[in-house]
Amino acid sequence: MSTATSDRPTPAHNSLTRDVWVNFKRWSRKAIRNPTAFFLEIVVGVFSLLLFSAVFGDVGEFALTQAGYADVDYLTYLVPAVFMQATMGSAFSSGVGLVGDLESGMFEKVTAMPMGWTAVLLGKAAADLLRILVQLLVVLALAVALGASVETGAAGVAGIMGVALLVGLLFMSIANILGVLVRDEEAINAASMLFMFPLLFLSPAFIPVADDIEWVARLNPITYGVDAIRALVIDEDVLTVLDVTRFGGIYDTLVPAVAVLVGLNLLFGAIAVRVLGRASSADAA
Amino acid sequence: MTYSDGTEAVRDLSLSIPRGEFFGFLGANGAGKTTTIKMLSTLLTPTGGRARINGYDVVDERTAVRGTVGYMAQHVSVDRELTARENLQFACEAYGVGGADRESRIEELLELVDLADVADTPAENFSGGMQKRLDAATALVHDPALVFLDEPTTGLDPKARNRLWDYFERINDAGTTIFLTTQYLEEADALCDRLAVIRDGGLVADDSPEALKRRVGGSRLSIDVEGGEEAIAAAERVARQHDWLTDEAALETTGDGLAVATSSPADHGSDLLVALRDAGVDISGFEVEEATLDDVFLTIADEGTDGLDAGGEDTDELDAESQQAAPAAASGTGQ
Repeated sequence: MSTATSDRPTPAHNSLTRDVWVNFKRWSRKAIRNPTAFFLEIVVGVFSLLLFSAVFGDVGEFALTQAGYADVDYLTYLVPAVFMQATMGSAFSSGVGLVGDLESGMFEKVTAMPMGWTAVLLGKAAADLLRILVQLLVVLALAVALGASVETGAAGVAGIMGVALLVGLLFMSIANILGVLVRDEEAINAASMLFMFPLLFLSPAFIPVADDIEWVARLNPITYGVDAIRALVIDEDVLTVLDVTRFGGIYDTLVPAVAVLVGLNLLFGAIAVRVLGRASSADAA
Repeated sequence: MTYSDGTEAVRDLSLSIPRGEFFGFLGANGAGKTTTIKMLSTLLTPTGGRARINGYDVVDERTAVRGTVGYMAQHVSVDRELTARENLQFACEAYGVGGADRESRIEELLELVDLADVADTPAENFSGGMQKRLDAATALVHDPALVFLDEPTTGLDPKARNRLWDYFERINDAGTTIFLTTQYLEEADALCDRLAVIRDGGLVADDSPEALKRRVGGSRLSIDVEGGEEAIAAAERVARQHDWLTDEAALETTGDGLAVATSSPADHGSDLLVALRDAGVDISGFEVEEATLDDVFLTIADEGTDGLDAGGEDTDELDAESQQAAPAAASGTGQ
């Protein structure tokens, strides 16, 4: 079929970075519009810190002594646990946001716009990560105010945030994949509980991992997030599920843990892009 | 277009829509309207056939198609957490409507859809009609050459509906091609230059609203005549002398008398009755049946292609149209 190409209207479009920015702005705006959820997630984090340190305090100190962490305060030991809990909770909100878009028709509307899916996803992910970052900084400040300490200083804090964001991104991918598959906000919320508690308890989040569940903890991504953050908090090599000695000091924890998290991110990120891309082009029924 | 579950939603559909036309796409629920509009707006990849929108291929030049069309989905699609202004800002930015133009464009659209007073209210506080209007405005921020409107007034009250109609007519007058799907023939009749009817995934009619109405109905006069077949034949001869009744199809004999299809039943009916009485025909009954617009639609959608021009597989015609100097805003064949 021949068509007079000279007379075609010029398509509206942006650069990739501009598209990312546009989507980042939209999702950040929505987060600001909904401050209750934002602060509630912070409150849950701080509340968990206080609750767990009060309830498990003595048991925790005993377990730490047994595991060779006699010099570590239990509140400090709990910081990574609370970080992971807040990160996962917040990451699942990202899936809830996606379901909201699927239900409101915005998902289709955005698909019909001249923006690539990568830009749409990156913009949303960036906004979600910024939200998590702000929440974690608040939780960390409160933890420090309560008596926790970060032995590796400012660089350590930056590292902690980096690791938390890696975990956040991983669970955002998972939550968004679930969002497309189940398309139901309540199911996503229920799934977040289903993920959060087993993964936290089957990791060294609250107490060092017992020998008989070590193999489970090895398969649990939260183990790597918890240990990497804990290494930065107490400045010790804490990774027990893998036997790494070649990097020295806390890098024996950080390098393998970050490598595992990056690998999982690549895998689940690719699946998320694929699942969302598919949903956007065949979402017709 | 066949879905993965084997449902064939649209087949052998051939259409060419010239720039600036207000095109109406009619059909019952499940006839294939939304599937067609989603294929043309690139939201669905066709399993067969080709289509060009504004000169761009819907499969190979997807992003270019998206950048030259506006799309208003059947269900309201606005970000309810954001205000009307923020929804428009997002749409402007997504379509690359630049800084200086943006604010004036947003103000203009807010005025146009009558939401200027509530511009800074989150859309979740809007009524359904207001959300629809906002949705329509966001589909138009980039002044697209062609707009797809998928049942834009379904579920609206008459006032909100009339307001949207106004709005669509205005942008069409300004040169925007409109592809409208609707279940309401009244809406199609009020707005469209041309109508196509889809049934079971294929076209069963494609013409101007007037021609379509003429072809499937209009009004029908029934005149009963005393005196059997001879009298009926005599009456037919008298009726045929009227020059508005030269069309064979418009006049037929029934067991009781004559049946006449006409667009002006009052004039033609009284003319005919006077002529018959003057000719000595004994009239025993007279009735005018007005075909409602809904009846017309139902007749076409239910009866199929009998006596109507189907778009069918006539792809040659499509090529010819596409080669003309003024290119088609939308053209394509699908399977």
